[in-house]
Amino acid sequence: MILRGAATMVVLGLLALDLALPVSPVTARGREALVRSDVATQIAVGRPLPEISLVGLDGRVHTREDLLGHRVLLTFERSVDW
Amino acid sequence: MGRLRLYRLLMGTLGVAFLLFGIAMVAAFFLYQRPHSTPGIPTGPVGHYFVAFTGCALIGWAGGLVGAARAPLASRTVGTTTAFVLVLMAFIRMVAWVIGDYWTWLGETPRYEAAGLLLAALALIWLRPTVAETMRAKAGAVVGGVAPAATEGGGGA
Repeated sequence: MILRGAATMVVLGLLALDLALPVSPVTARGREALVRSDVATQIAVGRPLPEISLVGLDGRVHTREDLLGHRVLLTFERSVDW
Repeated sequence: MGRLRLYRLLMGTLGVAFLLFGIAMVAAFFLYQRPHSTPGIPTGPVGHYFVAFTGCALIGWAGGLVGAARAPLASRTVGTTTAFVLVLMAFIRMVAWVIGDYWTWLGETPRYEAAGLLLAALALIWLRPTVAETMRAKAGAVVGGVAPAATEGGGGA
């Protein structure tokens, strides 16, 4: 009976966690919906590069104006938390 | 409907469902081998290799579940391990929901699946036969002179 009760508590705890996933600040989904909509609607072959503001590994902010006039290769990767 | 009857119904339903999933996964492996085939799930040769392996394991698991549905008092541990694995499967789905790769493919589905699996595990935990019931059934089978494997309460060899 004790083990049954303990197992029930574990399952109920996981069920509560499952329900709390979308609203918990730790596990809430990121902005992937926004990012995906941007990628789908704004970035395409043959279309002008939209306004961007990206922070480089050096800490500097890179905008579209910084890239214009140069040969630029942009690559996109997902991170595990997006 | 009695607790044991509900347990048998749940185990039987899970058994049939896993059997169908297993057959579908094995079939997916063979269908993938056709020239110019389009895979039903977004994975390659290695993924389909493991899909087939999982399908075979599911078919075996389904056999155990159906056996437990037919003789629940003789197969208490099947219910216990099934409940544990259902919880594990639910936890994996919750982790998958957090990871973006699966989110873009499945959306909220892993969370809903996890909730269903957890509820099924909870039902198994409370519906499965107790140790006392199993022991009592075994004793009854021996006293009655009935072969244990042929009864609900039989322990089998």
